[in-house]
Amino acid sequence: MNPYILAILLFGLGLGTTITFASSHWLLAWMGLEMNTLAIIPLMAQHHHPRAVEATTKYFLTQAAAAATLLFASITNAWLTGQWEIQQITHPLPTTMITLALALKIGLAPLHAWLPEVLQGLDLTTGLILSTWQKLAPFALILQIQPSNSTTLIILGLASTLIGGWGGLNQTQLRKILAYSSIAHLGWMILILQFSPSITLLTLLTYLIMTSSTFLVFKLNKATIINTLATSWAKAPALTALTPLILLSLGGLPPLTGFMPKWLILQELTKQGLAPTATLAALSALLSLYFYLRLSYTMTLTISPNSLLGTTPWRLPSTQLTYPLAISTAMTLCLLPLTPAISALLIP
Amino acid sequence: MLKILLPTIMLVPTIWAVPAKYLWSTTLSYSLIISLISLTWLKSSAESGWSFLSPYMATDPLSTPLLALTCWLLPLMILASQNHTAPEPISRQRTYITLLTSLQIFLIMAFSATEVIMFYIMFEATLIPTLVIITRWGNQTERLNAGTYFLFYTLAGSLPLLVALLLLQNNTGTLSLLTLQYTPSMQLSSFADKLWWAGCLLAFLVKMPLYGAHLWLPKAHVEAPIAGSMVLAAVLLKLGGYGMMRMMIMLEPLTKELSYPFIIFALWGVIMTGSICLRQTDLKSLIAYSSVSHMGLVAAGILIQTSWGFTGALILMIAHGLTSSALFCLANTNYERTHSRTMILARGLQMVLPLMTAWWFIASLANLALPPLPNLMGELMIITSLFHWSWWTIALTGGGTLITAGYSLYMFLMTQRGPLPAHIISLDPTHSREHLLMALHLLPLILLISKPELIWGWTA
Repeated sequence: MNPYILAILLFGLGLGTTITFASSHWLLAWMGLEMNTLAIIPLMAQHHHPRAVEATTKYFLTQAAAAATLLFASITNAWLTGQWEIQQITHPLPTTMITLALALKIGLAPLHAWLPEVLQGLDLTTGLILSTWQKLAPFALILQIQPSNSTTLIILGLASTLIGGWGGLNQTQLRKILAYSSIAHLGWMILILQFSPSITLLTLLTYLIMTSSTFLVFKLNKATIINTLATSWAKAPALTALTPLILLSLGGLPPLTGFMPKWLILQELTKQGLAPTATLAALSALLSLYFYLRLSYTMTLTISPNSLLGTTPWRLPSTQLTYPLAISTAMTLCLLPLTPAISALLIP
Repeated sequence: MLKILLPTIMLVPTIWAVPAKYLWSTTLSYSLIISLISLTWLKSSAESGWSFLSPYMATDPLSTPLLALTCWLLPLMILASQNHTAPEPISRQRTYITLLTSLQIFLIMAFSATEVIMFYIMFEATLIPTLVIITRWGNQTERLNAGTYFLFYTLAGSLPLLVALLLLQNNTGTLSLLTLQYTPSMQLSSFADKLWWAGCLLAFLVKMPLYGAHLWLPKAHVEAPIAGSMVLAAVLLKLGGYGMMRMMIMLEPLTKELSYPFIIFALWGVIMTGSICLRQTDLKSLIAYSSVSHMGLVAAGILIQTSWGFTGALILMIAHGLTSSALFCLANTNYERTHSRTMILARGLQMVLPLMTAWWFIASLANLALPPLPNLMGELMIITSLFHWSWWTIALTGGGTLITAGYSLYMFLMTQRGPLPAHIISLDPTHSREHLLMALHLLPLILLISKPELIWGWTA
């Protein structure tokens, strides 16, 4: 892509999120979200492949619908309460509509159906941006409005963890697996929202780090299906040895970083008296763990002297910058002992 | 405490930095030195029971024998793995020993943890190296299924445990073992409390394993390489027993009624798995089911909550750890020579490898709990305390002892006695490494005859 156009689009992407972060007026927040959507559309469609264009169209339609709902809800709130402050939204009708609109924006179940198909149509870099950067602006709004209708939020949360787990079980395409993993993690974030928004923020940040590691590993191996992962031992042996740990961290196994948000969420849920919800959410994480385990089996635990599972591709030297991957992998694996420090920083 | 933990952690850079031809001898000698230093823990002196106290780690007479067993096992695992990893490239060998060492680090931290959540995290952390050992270095395609069963059975039990521990923390304000024994007992009466009781114990019962939830064990033990089988049988099962013994204090008074079905399951499991052993054709599978059988007795001994029960459970855990690991090493000597686990393919070995027969004999006798070995002491104390609880259990435990003797002798006679099959024409003679391995397993067991106070636990 023309570097000037790319620069403008990335600038627009950054600006949109920043506007939403900085806004206290609903209209400005909506503008930031729309800028984000519009800036990423050409990035998604840049390869002019029909599948990419299909993904772009689906993304545009869902995000536009969500933004329109958001606009409508904020106007309703202005009618009902006479003001446009983001943090002063209290009337239950606009609050619920905004919660659902933002749920559609990020891909929470039961509003999740677009995410696997859209992610599948994108290349891994744009997919990475969709899974990480595009979640920041809606979450900024979610964290500020602090919805309090507990039933809706718990249903959104548990449905997302269960659907994210079950949906990913039958997939062989890596991007769809990552989409379902995203849905499951978003479920965990929403589950704790009404009790402790700071734990939601912590979960979001750890999820961003872990999923960046995974996307970057797949990019380095140029892998889009599970079979391609089987030859990664020839391209990057040390990374092949580390990737099961990254995947198990995504799955939330101690002593890796991914355990930290789950631990803090379960602790807060039990303090609030929701032990059965906590148990159900914890057990639903086992579903996602199964497909992460399957990926680790294919990639690392069945390498030679066992027979190859995939056809060997051309092994050209990779030109990818490995510095971000190194940092995100180190953080994905080693941050659990810092839990007291991180929770002191984030949780008041 | 740190004088054991830090050298074990520093063993990891040692593994990667040492020149290739000194890898195995260096790691073996360092881990032996660490295990000898760990024997200093056995002298516990504090009145309160907790020795070598630091804010997060301590030892008491319950955890000390298990810690010594864990530290003792690392050199044995390294000794046992030297042969089968020899054809692999050197960095794979280093990775293998690193996995064994990291498992050791997590186990030391688990057994010496004073905070129950730290124990939980280390309990779960042991899953990852074990999973990699089983699925990467196992030899048959079934190992992937074995790894999945192992991981998911354990996690399905331990996630409710995490919720239960967090509930306990809300209730008592702390999860430090040092103070939990002094908190007033909670009023536990509602149905939710009974679910909480089950949640606390389920993870450990799956790990031990209890008979109904034992399906992961034969798979994992059979498919694992020798070091994996050794550590699984000797130490990882004991994590379940240790966890149960720690949690029992807090679970009163519900245990009096709620433990009934689990005691019955455990005792029935002794009979059932013993009977399955009599029909096994796979040698490692036989030893795996024998592990389930012995651990069923341990589970019953812990659930009965008497001092003889606890002491018997601890003694049996240590003795079974050494015996079972010894049997797996013996089975591995067969496997390395014939690359098959089928018992009838390598029969009558007394003719070919008579020195090994001596070790098979001692290990089989230990398995069937011959006096004066500590195996008998443990079993007898558990059987006695169960008999005191209910006379009917003697039918199950007595029958269990009989069947154990049956399959242990069956295993010995099948592999050692009888005619030599015609196709065994060239078997490697026994290596001195294998003799050393067996001696290091069985000598501590024999020495414990003279001072069982070391492994008696709190009643010492």
